[in-house]
Amino acid sequence: MLFKRSVALLAVLASVHSMAALAASDKLLDKDHEYMAVTNYPNNLHIIDTSTDTLFKTCAMPDDFGPGMLLISPDKSRAYVLNNHYADIYGVELDSCNVVFHAKLAQRSNESARAMFSMAVSPDGKELYSVVNPTEKNQDHYVVGSPRLQVYSTAAGLDAKPLRSYPAPRQTYLMQMADDGTLFIAGADIYKFDVNTGKYDVALPVRNWKLPNYSAPDVLYFWPHQTKNRDFSILYTTAKFQDEKQDMATAEYKYGYFNINLKTNKIEQADFASLTELYFTGLRSPKDPNLMFGVLNRLAKYDIREQKLLQAAELDHTYYCVAFNTEGSKLYLAGTFNEIAIFDPDSLKQIGKIKLPGGDMAISTTQVFIR
Amino acid sequence: MARNVYLPYQMPRGTVAQHKNNYRGGPTPMTTRLRQRVSTLALSMAICAVLQSQAQAAEDGEAILKAKCVGCHIPEEGQALSRISHQRKTPEGWLMSIARMQVMHGLKIEDDDRRTLVKYLADKQGLAPNEADGARYALERRLNNVEDFDEKFTQMCARCHSGARVALQRRPAKEWEHLVNFHLGQWPSLEYQAQSRDRDWLDIALKEMVPELANRYPLDSKAWTDWQQQRPDAAKLAGEWSFSGHVPSKGDVRGVMTATVSDKDAFDVSLKGEYADGTPFNGSGSAILFNGYEWRGNLEVEGVAMRQVLAATAGEIRGRMFETEHDERGLDFVAAKQGTVRLLAVQPEYLKAGSEAELTLVGSGLSGKPSFGEGVEVLTVLEQTSERVRVKVKTASDAPVGIRMVNLGALKGPNLAVYQQISEVKVVPEYSVARVGGNGGSTPKVQGRFEAEAWGKDLAGKAYRIGLVPAKWSVEPFDERAAEDQDVKFAGVMSAEDGVFTPGAAGPNPERKMSTNNAGNLKVIAAVQQDGQTLKGEGQMIVTVQRWNNPPIP
Repeated sequence: MLFKRSVALLAVLASVHSMAALAASDKLLDKDHEYMAVTNYPNNLHIIDTSTDTLFKTCAMPDDFGPGMLLISPDKSRAYVLNNHYADIYGVELDSCNVVFHAKLAQRSNESARAMFSMAVSPDGKELYSVVNPTEKNQDHYVVGSPRLQVYSTAAGLDAKPLRSYPAPRQTYLMQMADDGTLFIAGADIYKFDVNTGKYDVALPVRNWKLPNYSAPDVLYFWPHQTKNRDFSILYTTAKFQDEKQDMATAEYKYGYFNINLKTNKIEQADFASLTELYFTGLRSPKDPNLMFGVLNRLAKYDIREQKLLQAAELDHTYYCVAFNTEGSKLYLAGTFNEIAIFDPDSLKQIGKIKLPGGDMAISTTQVFIR
Repeated sequence: MARNVYLPYQMPRGTVAQHKNNYRGGPTPMTTRLRQRVSTLALSMAICAVLQSQAQAAEDGEAILKAKCVGCHIPEEGQALSRISHQRKTPEGWLMSIARMQVMHGLKIEDDDRRTLVKYLADKQGLAPNEADGARYALERRLNNVEDFDEKFTQMCARCHSGARVALQRRPAKEWEHLVNFHLGQWPSLEYQAQSRDRDWLDIALKEMVPELANRYPLDSKAWTDWQQQRPDAAKLAGEWSFSGHVPSKGDVRGVMTATVSDKDAFDVSLKGEYADGTPFNGSGSAILFNGYEWRGNLEVEGVAMRQVLAATAGEIRGRMFETEHDERGLDFVAAKQGTVRLLAVQPEYLKAGSEAELTLVGSGLSGKPSFGEGVEVLTVLEQTSERVRVKVKTASDAPVGIRMVNLGALKGPNLAVYQQISEVKVVPEYSVARVGGNGGSTPKVQGRFEAEAWGKDLAGKAYRIGLVPAKWSVEPFDERAAEDQDVKFAGVMSAEDGVFTPGAAGPNPERKMSTNNAGNLKVIAAVQQDGQTLKGEGQMIVTVQRWNNPPIP
C-alpha cells in the first residue's frame, strides 16, 4: 500500500511539470480523511478534499453521462454510479479510478431497461440493488414490461448479471437499505422490500396517505443523500385544508419531509414550512436535526418544530443539491454548472467555491464520506 | 422542371418529453449530430428536388414502402404492413413518423424517396377534411393557440405536446395501445412527471385512454370512406384564385393567386397582390396537393421564403401562410376560385359613424352594386373587377352602430361593423409566448406580434367586435416578481408603432440576477387614441427559452 502510494506520488510529481493542474487518477485517498464525490459532464467522477475544499482528483467514466447519480460503498472504497442514460451501473474503485463493477440493466438483447434513480447497496457492501423499468423492443412495436428489482453481487465484476430478481411496483425512484437489511423503496408509497424473498409491503403510504384534511402529497426527489445519521429523507409538498370541506382556495401549501432512519427503521413524516418557494433538495443539520436547509433559487434555513423560516441566503445561480460535511460545519451546494458553493450553515454566509473541470453537474448527488 | 415538394416544418428533433428528461435542455452529442443531419435534410428538401412524375408516385410509393419498411414491418393479408396500414395521418404526421424511423430506428431513405412515401401514405391513409377540422391550427403553426381539450385528455396526452398531434391521427385500439407502449418505453421518465406521478399512469393510459381514443379517433370512419369517393381531381384547382388576408403589423392584403398544373397533384404558383396601402405582395413558387385538399405551398414572397398550409375544399382555399424561418410571422389566407361567385372579405372591417372611408370587397365573380346598410352611402365606385370592388363611402353620424352584413348583388358577404365609440380594446393574442434565441445558438428568436382589437356596444348594450385598429404598444412587468427581476429591461424590446416584440438573446445573462436567461413575464399594452382619450387593452406575454424541439406538428 505504501509502495503504491509512493508510486502514485511519483506519478504526481512527474506530471507536475507538464500538467500541474491535473491530479493523477490513481492518487490514493487518505484513510480517515473526509472527501466529497460528485459527477458532471462530459462524464467525470470528481473527488474533492473537504479539508482544503479543492479538487483531489478526477476519474474519467466510461460510456455516456446521465444521470450520474452516485452512492459511496459502505467501506468507502467505491462509488457506484447510475449512468449511460439510466441504463448501466458502474462501480469505480476510488483509489485507482478503475471501473471494477459494471451491470447493464437490460437483460435481453431486445430489452431496454432503465433505473429511474433506483439504486442501493447493502450495508455489508456485498449486494447492489436496482429497480429497473424494462421495455421489450420488438421488431415493429414496444411492450412496456413490469418493473423488476435486480440483485447483484458487488463482486460480479464487469459483466454483472443479477443473482436474483423480483417483481417490483411501478413508478419507484430512490431506495436505500437499512442496517437490518430491509430495503426501503420510494414509489407511489414507500415500500419495505425483502430482497431475499421479493415480498414487499407498504412501509409508509404516500400517494395513498390518509392524513385528515391533507391532499395527497407530491414528491419529486432523486437525490439519495447518504447522511452521517443514516437518514433516508425525501421532501414532499402538500395542501393542508382548513376543514373537511377540503377547499383548495383556502388551503395552506406545505413543505414536509419523510425520513427513515436506516439504523432504527423509524419512519417520520412532518411538515416543516409553508410552501413559498421551491427547493430541489433539503437536508436536516447533522448538528441540530430541528434545522432544515433547502436549496434551489435560495438557500433557506427552517426551524422544523416552529415551521418557521429562520434565514435565507441569495445565490448567484440555482443549485440543486445540498450536502453537509460530516461535522455539520459546512454546507455544499452543487448541481447546475460546474461550481460548488460552500456556505456556513450558522451564518448562511458563503465561505468558498470549488470550480470543477468539465461541465454541468446536472442532477448529480454530492456524497460526503470519510475514507 | 425542378419542383419543391416540402412540408412546412423543421424536421423532428426528438420530442418535448425527451428534452424534459434532459434536465437543462442541453443537447447530448448524439442529439447534436442528429440535429445537424436533420437540418441538412430539411435544407436539401427546401432547396430543390426533382420529383419524378407524380403519376408514377403511387406505384413508386408502394415500391418504396416495400423496399424500406418491410424488414421491420410485417406483411399482412392483402398488401398490408403491420402498424403502417392501421393508421391514418396528415402529410406532416406521416413525415414525422418516417423521420422518427430515421432518427430512432436507423431507417436509411433518400429525401426523394421520403417525399414520395409521404405523398403516397398521406393520399392513401389521410384524414377527411372534416376529420382535420378543429385541429388545423397545429398544421398552420398557430403556436399561440390555447387548446381546449377535456382535462383528462389534456393531462394524459397533451401535457408534453399539442392535443392536435393526437387529434390529427386515426387508429384502432391496438394501435393506440402500441402508441402508449412506445411513449413509456421511449421516455421512461414520463410516468414520474407532474400529472403522471400522482396516478397509475400506465394503467389509466391502457385501460381508459386507449378505448377513449379508439372511440374518438377511429381508424374506420364514414367521413373517410365518403371522402375517398368524392375526393376531387387536383387539376380542378388550376386557375386563378382571388385572395384576401391580414398580416399582423402590416395590415390587409389582397390579390390573385394563379395555380398552373405542373404535374399530377403539383402546381406552379404565383401571387400578385398588394397591401391596403399599395405595397406589393408578389411572389411565386410551387405547391403540392395531398389527399385531394391538403395544399402545401413553398413560395418566395417579396424576397422572403414563405409556406402555405391551406385546405382546398368546396371552391375555397383557406389556411395560413407564414415565413419559413419565422412561422410566427404570417397571415390568415382565404381564396375563392375564379368562376365561383363568392364574397370573401371587406377591408377594413369597420366604419366610423360620421366619417368618409374607402372599403374594398374581395371575392370572385363579383358584380352588381354593393350595399352596406342603413346610414352608409356609397359615394364613388373607385374600382370594380370580378375580384375586387373598391368604393368610397360616407357613414352618417346617426348610422346604427353594430354589426351588419355587406351585400353585393345577390351576394351576402362578410360582416361590417359601424361604430361611434370604441368601448374596449383587447390585445390579440390575449396570451402568447415569445422565445429568446440567436446569440450563437441554433434557434432563432421567436417574436411576439400583437394587434389591438376594438370592441363597441350596440344599441342593446351588447358588445360587438369592431375590428383591428392602430395602437401604440408597450410592455410592463406582469407582476411584482417580473418588476423585481427587471423583465422589461431584459426580456426584449417592443416596437411602439407596430406591436412587434423582439425577445432578448439566448443563454445565461451575467447581468441578470442569478445569471438567469432573458425570460420574462410581461403585460402587453395597446393604447388606442379616441377623441383625445386613451383606451388601453392588456394581454400577457411569456418570454421563455427556446423551443429546442420543433417538429412539424407541435
